[in-house]
Amino acid sequence: MAYTPQYGPGTSIVAENRRNQMNPNHDLEKIRDVTDEDIVMVLGHRAPGSAYPTAHPPLAEQQEPDCPMRKLVTPTEGAKAGDRVRYVQFADSMFNAPSQPYQRTYAEMYRFRGIDPGTLSGRQIVECRERDLEQYAKLLVETEMFDPALVSMRGATVHGHSLRLSEDGMQFDMLQRCVLSDDGVVKYVKDQIGVPLDREVAVGKPMDEEWLKAHSTIFHSLVGTAYRDDKEYVEYIVRVHTLRTKYGFMPKEE
Amino acid sequence: MAKIERAQKLFLDSLNEKFSGQDIESEKTTFYNFNGVRQSPRKREFMKATEAIEKSRGISMYDPERCHLGGIPMGQRQLMTYQVSQSGVYCEGDDLHFVNNAAMQQFWDDIRRTVIVGMDMAHATLQKRLGKEVTPETINEYLHILNHAMPGAAVVQEHMVETHPGLVDDCYVKVFTGDDELADDIEKQFLIDVNKLFTEDAAEELKKEVGTSMYQAIHIPSIVSRTCDGGTTSRWSAMQIGMSFIAAYRMCAGEAAVADLSYAAKHAGVVQMASILPARRARGPNEPGGIKFGLFGDIIQADRKHPNDPARASLEVVGAGVMLFDQIWLGSYMSGGVGFTQYATAAYTDNILDEFTYYGMDYLKDKYNFDYTAPSPDQILEPTQDLVNDLATEVNLNAMEQYEQFPTMMEDHFGGSQRAGVMAAACGLTCSISTGNSNAGLNGWYLSMLMHKEGWSRLGFFGYDLQDQCGSANSLAMDGDRGLMGELRGPNYPNYAMNVGHQGEYAAIVSGAHYGRGDEFCYSPLVKITFADPSLKFDFSDPRREFARGAIREFMPAGERSLIIPAR
Repeated sequence: MAYTPQYGPGTSIVAENRRNQMNPNHDLEKIRDVTDEDIVMVLGHRAPGSAYPTAHPPLAEQQEPDCPMRKLVTPTEGAKAGDRVRYVQFADSMFNAPSQPYQRTYAEMYRFRGIDPGTLSGRQIVECRERDLEQYAKLLVETEMFDPALVSMRGATVHGHSLRLSEDGMQFDMLQRCVLSDDGVVKYVKDQIGVPLDREVAVGKPMDEEWLKAHSTIFHSLVGTAYRDDKEYVEYIVRVHTLRTKYGFMPKEE
Repeated sequence: MAKIERAQKLFLDSLNEKFSGQDIESEKTTFYNFNGVRQSPRKREFMKATEAIEKSRGISMYDPERCHLGGIPMGQRQLMTYQVSQSGVYCEGDDLHFVNNAAMQQFWDDIRRTVIVGMDMAHATLQKRLGKEVTPETINEYLHILNHAMPGAAVVQEHMVETHPGLVDDCYVKVFTGDDELADDIEKQFLIDVNKLFTEDAAEELKKEVGTSMYQAIHIPSIVSRTCDGGTTSRWSAMQIGMSFIAAYRMCAGEAAVADLSYAAKHAGVVQMASILPARRARGPNEPGGIKFGLFGDIIQADRKHPNDPARASLEVVGAGVMLFDQIWLGSYMSGGVGFTQYATAAYTDNILDEFTYYGMDYLKDKYNFDYTAPSPDQILEPTQDLVNDLATEVNLNAMEQYEQFPTMMEDHFGGSQRAGVMAAACGLTCSISTGNSNAGLNGWYLSMLMHKEGWSRLGFFGYDLQDQCGSANSLAMDGDRGLMGELRGPNYPNYAMNVGHQGEYAAIVSGAHYGRGDEFCYSPLVKITFADPSLKFDFSDPRREFARGAIREFMPAGERSLIIPAR
């Protein structure tokens, strides 16, 4: 019997957006073009055009142990090549940024292979083999999961997700890795760790408030959808909590 | 759940002061124009102090404009001040690091240097084994001798070294008993007078618990417990007790009966403030990780000051608890550095947790006709799952909405861990105060955590994944190694041992269960009486106010050393 994931509860647009981002059968809307070279520059792990540094020889060139798991799991391209494990980390503003930390992790787990995500309040990191990472990062930047003003790639000093926005609508970043240019386009002037780039990397224009509200995955009673209004979502959380409590208190069937 | 109107928002004053001249409900502001780290008077003071230090020692030190992020100093946004909640005192965040705050240091000193030692066993030894007479007069004489000896003075031997009284003036011993007649015969200077320090009803209940026994509330010198550790307290105390009994009752220093007195003073009659910790945390007794949450609720005396406001009393426990357990225990004993401070301060600054908690109190009144200003077992609500779910859901949703409606408040609590601890604390307190059940309070905490995580798609740092996403299942459990009643849990409880932003709040949730019932104590009547003593350096009935005094440098601690160092 084929299992059909439900992804999550809720009747609101926030809940629907969450399900869409998680569902690998849903095509994420591509909104902007960012070149492979530009992604590599912002990631800051290797110089564009340079060879991928390796952590081990290509799998085809090394003796693989006789392991049934390895026969079951097809390695990713990065794993096959022996790439290093590197990261991309996003900081998402609470003012209706289209994706949010746990949402990113859930979506990535459904959509990507060979990843190790980490979820905090002000940032979400995903680690994987370097050439896989570049593909994943490109998707995360080019699609509806990204907004140039409210989402940014930050390796360290991520402070900003909960702060008020700057007058120009940009999320606070003490390193100002990306800036809103006079032409209305957001441009990275530093890589995600804060090292100045040789040239600017444009990631497009900020989305407008209406679009953000319609595509956000965070509840917010001031600028978006109130959590309280999605009764199904709240009831579901209460149900999960209640069942966990009862099981921990008295682990037997009634 | 149903939102109720609450016009009074306790955090507004703080937000208006912190963000003076700005619209505190606006989503927009300006950044990068605050002159960096120099916007803060305290940071400027640090920089100036460094100049002198570097000249003196010839080694570089505090240099925030060079060393922070390769030349990008803090202060690209506004470096906020903080009001210590309900104190009216504003200070800088730096003033709430325990290194910079003498009141915080003394708070922990006063706990660590305290043991309670029963006198009954010693008196029985003297009377039954040695045939000595024990009377109020001999007890008073013994206490005179003990208050000479405890700070570090000799009472039996010739040619002994002693400590300078000016260095150990915070050291003393008082006694208490449930026997009014005996208490009347004890010199007032040595007596913790239960009748004067507690309400009539509370005093009667506490005296009933203590009975005719007599206990010594012992506070060894701060400087001793600092130089050594909490495990020293009972040893130092027992040595001086033994010598004082020998002197007061004219015993032979080597006779076998002394062993009985020593055993009583070192072990059998001793109440430590904290239990010993396992090897992986490697601390002796009287160190923070071993303090049971129920006992901590008895150390804090705010319910004596606010007997008709269990919310306020519990909030004082939060402040005291997060300072000790987050800033000192996890932040320094177990980790190190400065990062833990702001996890803790979020819970006792700017009246934010206070506002969320009083919303819960108003909701209780509005929906359940529960009057929190009249604590009594008679009106306690039955701790059902439905009740906890309703209370925690509403209090948590309100808190989230407040953060959303006031973006400056979200900016104030800029980290998810801060918000998580504060919202869950308000939920837990609402549940425990109204049900008189600490585990119901803990259960409310975990519903808040799940609701928060799903609503904003974020929670705290990685540790919150471990602790809070599985907490529902252990909050009511009583099975060994995974469950316990809240009063007996503590910072070293298996699932609580590693995560900042929780332990102080748990202690308050446990305490709130008793404050809501109007109980005279949470766990130990002996501890409750001991820390009611007004002679202690730190006023345990008003911890947040004391921390505020420390922040503005008005708190005078013990631990004087100027007597033995060169004049500046």
